[in-house]
Amino acid sequence: MTLPTHDNLETGPGEAEATLRIIASLPAPKGLEDRVNAALKNGARTGKVLAWPTALGQRQGWMHSAVARGAAAAAIVFIVAGGGWSVYSRVQPAAQPKVIAMPRIAAPGGFSSAGTMRVPQTLNGPVLAHPAVSIASVKKAQSKKKAEPTAKEPGTAKSVQ
Amino acid sequence: MEIAPGAVRDETRQHDEEAALTALVSEYATTLYRVAFSVLRNASDAEDAVQEAFVRVLRHRDTLGEVRDHRVWLIRIVWNIVLDRKRRAKTRPETDDIAELARVLPANGLSAEQRASAAQHHAHVLGCVEQLPAKEREVLMLSAFEELTSVEIAEVLGITESSVRSRLFRARNLMAELLNHKRSHP
Repeated sequence: MTLPTHDNLETGPGEAEATLRIIASLPAPKGLEDRVNAALKNGARTGKVLAWPTALGQRQGWMHSAVARGAAAAAIVFIVAGGGWSVYSRVQPAAQPKVIAMPRIAAPGGFSSAGTMRVPQTLNGPVLAHPAVSIASVKKAQSKKKAEPTAKEPGTAKSVQ
Repeated sequence: MEIAPGAVRDETRQHDEEAALTALVSEYATTLYRVAFSVLRNASDAEDAVQEAFVRVLRHRDTLGEVRDHRVWLIRIVWNIVLDRKRRAKTRPETDDIAELARVLPANGLSAEQRASAAQHHAHVLGCVEQLPAKEREVLMLSAFEELTSVEIAEVLGITESSVRSRLFRARNLMAELLNHKRSHP
């Protein structure tokens, strides 16, 4: 293969194409095919590992009886479940912490309340000048007055006699 | 031990696929390398791209029989790989291109100084090619491969043949402008 050199390069618009043609005709490095084939073999081996259940399913062997496969699956499930249970059973539930009222931590950059409690201001009710007397108590007092005889003054009785 | 007939059939099929793949490698690895190198302009990166392309083929080896033209199909795979890699890679400085080109350009009886000068010139031209819009640049780069016809370039890029021609026309005009501009304003 004769490669174009920079001596026979065209000038002007064909210059770029000549350069690209030189690059497009560069020989590949030696051993490229071997390296690619080696990479493919590695790739194929990886593929086989991934596809082992299918590959094994068509051959004869101890793994092919349904019982053996079921037993193997059960063993795996048992081991995984047992491991999970052993971890679960060893974990102690944390004791309930006593409730301790802690002062509130102020937000960073702000002020704390320093433990003070806010008491809301309530509205003052109407203040009465005289004690309020209910009608019932007034009536009761009047009836009591009628029932009792009016006490005579000692001085006046003597004077009548 | 009895051997199942299905297993024999599978092994035969696998052997056939491996043989077909090996044949593809020996036939097209060089072409794919050149396509990859024209975009990446780094020997090891180009080789990695070729390996990745064949690994992809290996993964889809079941569909090998449906492929009409293996060469164009493989070039299309490697083309997509190298464009993706180039998009992700940082922009290469021109000095890297000069060094790599000086290393890979054939001597052809040139002195070391002449080779360095040629590498510098090619790197400069490639710098101009990089300034082209992507669509025009891709067509121009693929047109440099003598083994690719405009129909095949269209298949690789997934466009029509007339688009290839119009893009190539635009690319040539733009390249002429760029090179003239560089020459008048060095």
